[in-house]
Amino acid sequence: MAGKKIQDAAVVREKRRLGKRLFQGRTLILMCLPAILFFIAFSYMPLPGIYVAFVKYNYRKGIFGSKFIGLQNFEFVAQSGQLWRLTKNTILFNLVFIILDNLVAVTTAILLKEIQSKAFRKVSQTMMFLPYFISQVLVGVLVFNILNSDTGFLNSVIKSLGGEPLSLYKNAGPWPVIITLVHLWQKTGYNSVVYFAAIMGIDQEVIEASLVDGANGWQKIRFIVLPSLRPTIVILLLFALGGIVKGDFGLFWNLVGRNPVLYEPVDIIEMFVYRSTISNFNFSTASAVGLYQSLIGFIMVLTVNGIVKKVEPDYSLF
Amino acid sequence: MAKKNKNDSMDSAPKVKLGTADYIIRGIGYVFISIFAILCILPFLIILASSFETEANIVAKGVTIWPREFTTRAYEMVFKGGTIWKSYGLTIIITVLGTVIGLFITSMMGYALQRKDFVLKNVLSFFVYFTSLFQAGLAPYYLLMTQTYHLDNSYLAILLPLLTSSWVIILMKNFVKSIPYEITESGKIDGAGDFMIFLKLILPMLTPALATVGLFLALGYWNEWYQDSLFLQQKEVVMLQYRLYKIVNEASSLKDSVAGQFVDYSDLPSESLKMATAMMTTGPIIFLYPFVQRYFIGGITVGAVKG
Amino acid sequence: MGKKLLALLLAVVMILSLAACGGASSTDDTKAPATDKAEEAEEPAAEEAEDAEEAEAPATDGDAWDAWADIDTSEHVVINYMTTGDAPTTGCNDEMLAELNKILTDKVNAEINIYWISWTDYLANYNLTLARMDGSVDLVGSATDWLDAWPNAKNGAFLELSEEDLKTYAPKTWASVPQEHWDYCKYDGEIYFMPEDNYAQWTNHGFAYRLDWAREAGLADGVKSWEDLTTYFKYVKETYGDQLIALWDTDGGAYPAGGYIQSHTDWTSLNGICSGALWGAYDSDEFTVKCEYLEETDNLIAYAKMMKEWDEIGVWPTDVLSNTGSDNRLEFRQGKTAVEQHHTQTWTGLVSPKASTDNTMYVDNPDAEVGFFYYGMESKNVKRDLITHGVCAISAASKNPERALMVYDMLRNDADCYDLFNYGIKGRSYDVDENGLRFTPDSYNADTDSISTNWWWGRNDDLEIPSAAMNWDAINALYEEYEGFAKLYPWENFVPDMDAIQSYVNNCQDVYTKYMKLICYGQYDGSEEDMVAEFQQALRDAGAEKVTEALQAQFDAFYGK
Repeated sequence: MAGKKIQDAAVVREKRRLGKRLFQGRTLILMCLPAILFFIAFSYMPLPGIYVAFVKYNYRKGIFGSKFIGLQNFEFVAQSGQLWRLTKNTILFNLVFIILDNLVAVTTAILLKEIQSKAFRKVSQTMMFLPYFISQVLVGVLVFNILNSDTGFLNSVIKSLGGEPLSLYKNAGPWPVIITLVHLWQKTGYNSVVYFAAIMGIDQEVIEASLVDGANGWQKIRFIVLPSLRPTIVILLLFALGGIVKGDFGLFWNLVGRNPVLYEPVDIIEMFVYRSTISNFNFSTASAVGLYQSLIGFIMVLTVNGIVKKVEPDYSLF
Repeated sequence: MAKKNKNDSMDSAPKVKLGTADYIIRGIGYVFISIFAILCILPFLIILASSFETEANIVAKGVTIWPREFTTRAYEMVFKGGTIWKSYGLTIIITVLGTVIGLFITSMMGYALQRKDFVLKNVLSFFVYFTSLFQAGLAPYYLLMTQTYHLDNSYLAILLPLLTSSWVIILMKNFVKSIPYEITESGKIDGAGDFMIFLKLILPMLTPALATVGLFLALGYWNEWYQDSLFLQQKEVVMLQYRLYKIVNEASSLKDSVAGQFVDYSDLPSESLKMATAMMTTGPIIFLYPFVQRYFIGGITVGAVKG
Repeated sequence: MGKKLLALLLAVVMILSLAACGGASSTDDTKAPATDKAEEAEEPAAEEAEDAEEAEAPATDGDAWDAWADIDTSEHVVINYMTTGDAPTTGCNDEMLAELNKILTDKVNAEINIYWISWTDYLANYNLTLARMDGSVDLVGSATDWLDAWPNAKNGAFLELSEEDLKTYAPKTWASVPQEHWDYCKYDGEIYFMPEDNYAQWTNHGFAYRLDWAREAGLADGVKSWEDLTTYFKYVKETYGDQLIALWDTDGGAYPAGGYIQSHTDWTSLNGICSGALWGAYDSDEFTVKCEYLEETDNLIAYAKMMKEWDEIGVWPTDVLSNTGSDNRLEFRQGKTAVEQHHTQTWTGLVSPKASTDNTMYVDNPDAEVGFFYYGMESKNVKRDLITHGVCAISAASKNPERALMVYDMLRNDADCYDLFNYGIKGRSYDVDENGLRFTPDSYNADTDSISTNWWWGRNDDLEIPSAAMNWDAINALYEEYEGFAKLYPWENFVPDMDAIQSYVNNCQDVYTKYMKLICYGQYDGSEEDMVAEFQQALRDAGAEKVTEALQAQFDAFYGK
């Protein structure tokens, strides 16, 4: 009995303390309020709607009045093999993106460091950053004007060199590569800045000492620069892994979304969700796939965050 | 900033004699960076040049990096319709308004979440982060926006959902982390309230962060086309990128964009018109970039690496 | 303390400013009706004369509407009419609507507002708008073949229309549509649409071509077969190739393969499964469901070979599959292409020199003539249009369904409303000559005087004023030809249940679109036989046979076999 009393008292004290702390933090809470309202309105409010994935959606009855059909919507997508194909494509693309993004960005950053002329470096960095600033709609326009076989720039060049023009828009084969290249084109400028900064952060004395010791350029990169980039690389890689089932809808849709000849090998989950919500108008199926995607992503992030917490506690997100 | 200068001065004053391998790597560096940089802007040059090229030349000979016959006809077309100015006005208003409001919301929360003594720090951090993990998807979102909020055919459907995001708040939080906690403490000792500390002491130190996050927000607004396509069906004036999207994807809206001009459609420069529109819709953000680049690059560095 | 208060204040201001943003939406919404009213206010003086004429109208054709006097229409309402198409920018449209709304207000105390679903991603926006169910639309133009009328009816987007309601609120429409046509609009025993069933049109597809060039090519009677079409293309390419943008400046989105099979068999495709219309049956065995492209191997190969030949002739641009943004129809009108692939109705606008100011080929070349090679010509296999090719439904979320029905009844059956809504303002958008034919006055300028309402869901031949601009000789000749052998679509009130097979159908549709693009435009290497075999295998892998089985079961259940 006495023990319980003490416990109760502790709880009360704890509560009081929490109340007091909340009161003390009231200004900070108020400062957070606009953002909290924002997230409630646009991120949390739609969540109950996920239920649509489990019903046979009827417009008039709304999401919660429609007939519950359990996992049937999931079965409909899974049975035709689409789910597996979409998951596979999305993950493969992301794996390739993650690996190449980092590889190219690290290379670029290292080489950028080798550039001695400050003006040259600045101008080239500005140029490399440009693609990051444009909308995916424009990316679609640019790619089309370079690759199409009638008026495209690439074919103009090939033709002027006497080669056989390519017909990229009727052949799905090269598109996974094209999309990857476009992605790299767009993102490398940005990604390399992160690594460039990390290299700049390396203690210059260590590098100089190594040079005095007679290390050559390659050795310098191999034994000093790369190891010092390791934590950055690892962290960025891990977090990228968390988003491995999320695709860049804007890029895919504007490059190949409207052309069924092209999209089959590059069809990702987002494209399917968009097509079936919108073109085939299947709210429930689309949401089922969306939910499946969120769940996998969620598990991935929790796992990755758990690993990060063990390896580099400072870097964990929560 | 100081640190960066130190590094720069190091670069320009190598004290050690370089070997062959160093020169090879350096050579590779120049070549690779040059080629890559040129590849990055080449498509823009092509679009720019082709927007000044005659339609006949584009159709017959393809796009080019230098106009074979110079004409400004496509641009005249783009402007004559007049509606592009309205799209400009709309895009600028929404971008400025959204960025300013968004920055305020983001920086306030970013600051609060970084305060060690904030009681809800962990709860709210997860509250924010969770939104990037779990999304309801298109259908519930669409129904909520239209049925519950009635934001269809309202420009608020563009402005509000892009005000902030878990990503920029985390970015902002990381920036704030780089500001010593002592500054907040000193404010406290002076008796300043939390909001005043934020406004007077912290905000001025966050300039690179504000520039970076602001640029991200502004980019988000400027490049927006998706929400337009969902919610602005009944609006005559749409954001610039959606305008481009419609012009690229559909012949009839190309004609609409210059409708009422007594144009003989047969010589409507459709290809070059698309490119002129592309240039017009993208130009401002490109011109803006070099001015904010310094902050931006500094900003990403702090936000991402020290994260 | 003061500073803290200030901090609180600022935070509150922040929130309020957000709330204020929210509030702005409502002012935004009310803006539209307000301006409408202002426009109306300007009108009355000019319209008084018209009004006097209106007053007589009820006396002449009133009777069925007399009963409306008992209906409570005291509240003025706005009926939103939703249609696909791009909103017109001419002022004339607003003036026409203002005039029309005066009549509607007079009669049923309602006005109409057009809710446009623009052509970019139209199917998406059409369905999304319906899904909102917030009363933003009342009258909904739809179609069971090219817009998702059945799925929307099944999903609860449309209001069930009881006989009682139709008799009361749309008496003239009710009386003019025969019972069997109403039956075609039923799902599960309930009527969901009002069909546009009294409007002569044929939407059988085919190729419009230059008859004058065909004659030059040695085809005295014009193109009578697919092989003739090849002959025609070869001749035109050789003779006029360098003057044309392309023989057919298509965007690669049309798949005439089905038309080829139609021309060589008695096949009919089942509507409402997917846009590819992959399933159907032969007239000779109309209750056995088959998958067209799994059955018709020989025809498909023959067709593929022909398309390879067309590709070699250079019928379309080399980059056909990404040729978006081209406008072949306009180019055909201007004499810059050699064919236009679309339906009969479209052809009527092409065969008539004065039907459009864009038809400049007739100005540039007085000998120009346009013929039509329709699908099914060789096999005499043409089906009549569905009764439900154009229908009007009432949104289930409509706040004023009764008034929406009344407005529809007026638009469809009242001559004044009909003329305004379909032709515009008399004397400005159009005029009527002594023969009772419609023509555009000399002062007419398409940029300022044209109207557009896309009223494809309630046209009525009793009120149509034939256009003097149309080439009725040619059009009637073709219509008579059709009348001679056209058959009814055999499964008009069968509504397939897609739930369990939708994902297979989606798969098949994807496969279909992909391979059709390749086959129909000869965009592949290797033999036609291999390509067709690959296509068929892909269809099987996508589950085509499962869909066939499921549909057969539904057929058996529905037709009681």
